[in-house]
Amino acid sequence: MKILVPVKRVVDYNVKIRVKPDGSGVDTANVKMSMNPFDEIAVEEAIRLKEAGVASEVVAVSCGVAQCQETLRAAMAMGADRGILVQTDVELQPLAVAKLLKAVVEKEQPGLVIAGKQAIDDDANQTGQMLAALLGWPQATFASKVVVTDGKLTVTREVDGGLETLELPLPAVITTDLRLNEPRFATLPNIMKAKKKPIDTLTPEALGVDVTPRLATLKVEEPPKRKAGVMVGSVDELIEKLRNEAKVI
Amino acid sequence: MDFTLTEEQRMIYEYGNRIAERFDHAYWRTYAEKAELPQELFQQLAEDGFLGLMVPEEYGGSGLGMMEMLLLIEGLANNGVPLLNLVVGPTMTMGLLAKHGSEEVKRRFLPPGCRGELKYCFAITEPNAGSNTMEITTYARPDGKGGFLLSGQKVFITDADVADYALVVTRTKPRQEVQKKTDGFTLFMVDLKQKGVSKTLIPIAFPLPETQWQLFFDDVPLSRDDVVGEVDAGFRILFDTLNPERITLAGLCAGIGRFALKRAVEYANERRVFNNTPIGAYQGIQHPLAIAHTEIELASLMARKAAWVFDEVLPAGEYSNMAKYAAAEAAIHAVDHTIQCFGGNGFTKEYGVYDLYGLVRLLRTAPINREMILNYLAEHVLGLPRSY
Ligand SMILES: Cc1cc2nc3c(=O)[nH]c(=O)nc-3n(C[C@H](O)[C@H](O)[C@H](O)COP(=O)(O)OP(=O)(O)OC[C@H]3O[C@@H](n4cnc5c(N)ncnc54)[C@H](O)[C@@H]3O)c2cc1C
Ligand SMILES: Cc1cc2nc3c(=O)[nH]c(=O)nc-3n(C[C@H](O)[C@H](O)[C@H](O)COP(=O)(O)OP(=O)(O)OC[C@H]3O[C@@H](n4cnc5c(N)ncnc54)[C@H](O)[C@@H]3O)c2cc1C
Repeated sequence: MKILVPVKRVVDYNVKIRVKPDGSGVDTANVKMSMNPFDEIAVEEAIRLKEAGVASEVVAVSCGVAQCQETLRAAMAMGADRGILVQTDVELQPLAVAKLLKAVVEKEQPGLVIAGKQAIDDDANQTGQMLAALLGWPQATFASKVVVTDGKLTVTREVDGGLETLELPLPAVITTDLRLNEPRFATLPNIMKAKKKPIDTLTPEALGVDVTPRLATLKVEEPPKRKAGVMVGSVDELIEKLRNEAKVI
Repeated sequence: MDFTLTEEQRMIYEYGNRIAERFDHAYWRTYAEKAELPQELFQQLAEDGFLGLMVPEEYGGSGLGMMEMLLLIEGLANNGVPLLNLVVGPTMTMGLLAKHGSEEVKRRFLPPGCRGELKYCFAITEPNAGSNTMEITTYARPDGKGGFLLSGQKVFITDADVADYALVVTRTKPRQEVQKKTDGFTLFMVDLKQKGVSKTLIPIAFPLPETQWQLFFDDVPLSRDDVVGEVDAGFRILFDTLNPERITLAGLCAGIGRFALKRAVEYANERRVFNNTPIGAYQGIQHPLAIAHTEIELASLMARKAAWVFDEVLPAGEYSNMAKYAAAEAAIHAVDHTIQCFGGNGFTKEYGVYDLYGLVRLLRTAPINREMILNYLAEHVLGLPRSY
């Protein structure tokens, strides 16, 4: 079975996000970019399935600017076998990415897609779900455990009330939650192998996908500064404040 | 000319960022305060294949060069994880063995070194020969059976407790018996668990995970198989370990400097003393930080040039020395200004910025002091007469 893992290039989680002075977006010039952490978890899970003999090939795919190659190399340094770059300078929104991924899935015919549940830049939490819908495949989002047995998928997912277990036929789409696994560091031998692994470059046009943004960004603003906290003297006082000041209980 | 790192180099450089998610500065500091090797971190580096970075693939390594080792060490230090350990073992000892060891020496020491099963340190300094290596008196005399008996004393040997073997610089001919003062040096791999070897700790005044030792050799038996390079001609290869030391320590200094500056900037952006203005707005705070940043990036560039020159097998002394000099000075300035920026908090254990000062200050004095570097540059590069 082949596993396809979409990986997104995002502003590194350590970087303090700065809004552009004109409010048109977030400053990404000279900012350190990395693989979306949820996608790292997805890559890790795919590699583990390969190591367990469940999967035969792990293909990483990234959509966006030419520098997304770095993200693909990082996935390959972790152990992905090859990369696909769908290259475009157009701002990509979740639906466009889902359509691009659908086209790549049709080309590659993977048995499983493992994506991050969301990307830490826009936190949209949509791409995996849209992809499953477009493909007509079953989906299991926010996975915290994945087991594949006899062509069937058992996924434990984190929901508000606790854990839910789903059984799905393959092919399917999974999105990863934080506790699914702890991604490995790229080892030096794998970093060296990564440079020899192939990256295919495609374009939205070649895939026949229209990626024109459907949503317009009106304005990007800093969130309001957090006010200083207060120390409460007792549990009673806390309850009183939550009830009468914050009015949340 | 192209200043961009290759994909591979970039990933090696960024390895420090990744590993710092698990082994961060606070982790390093815990071990520095205990003066204890961070074993789990070392194990992780071994498992991830970084100890053998400079070792050819046939001996279990990755066959990369000085540049990549510099990037690894600098990348770790960027995150507040400076490891002298990687300098004395994987760089100085394993790098030299890979370059100049006999087939037998390479087979014996490199594969277990890459796996982290054997650890190495480097011993040249003696009580009466620090700046003046020519004066070393540690002597390996012929035992009459084709081998040697080693006697003498070394000081300040980093990691001599955790290391299994030391790469020891000795004389096999006393200075008064050789025509040229650089003749008669021999390098040996000495088993530190062997009879005749003893050691005492030299406690160091600032937090550091690696410990320093005096080593005593009392008729330690050595064989020809323990020689690295050629008998009596050790001096010729000595700088293939001393230049890498200077280059990697330059990177380490640049990394600590960047780490300190990052903390200074964070603090200066938040701390408000007068009129609700962040102290970072004052030029008295910002200019020294901007200058330190410039000095660090310049020194880091010179370290990369030195690494490149070394990898090209060109004479690397001038660049290695300039890089080490500049990086130590830059790091001292960076840490000093960071401390200043933190006000009284700069001196507390809680904020931990003063902790960084000892290490960068050390690197003005060791492994080669600022004055000897300037002597070298003045005499050998500029062509000025020698005064000493
Ligand atoms: C923490 C630590 C770790 C170390 N690790 C190792 C190690 O792993 N292996 C190893 O072999 N050694 C190690 N050393 C030793 C280190 O390399 C020496 O301390 C260093 O080379 C200086 O030698 P010295 O201490 O004998 O100083 P000296 O040679 O006594 O010099 C003292 C000072 O005199 C001045 N000076 C000397 N000569 C001149 C001159 N010609 N012109 C102008 N000024 C001069 C310099 O300012 C110098 O700092 C370590 C030292 C320390 C402190
Ligand atoms: C070991 C120790 C002992 C001490 N003992 C005593 C004691 O016995 N009694 C006591 O009362 N206090 C004591 N102090 C406190 C000490 O006097 C203060 O730490 C010092 O005055 C600096 O104040 P701060 O820490 O609030 O720094 P901050 O006021 O936060 O200043 C931080 C830095 O910002 C910069 N800065 C601030 N304002 C300006 C400006 N307008 N222009 C340019 N730069 C600026 C400076 O570089 C300064 O170092 C002690 C501190 C220490 C560390």
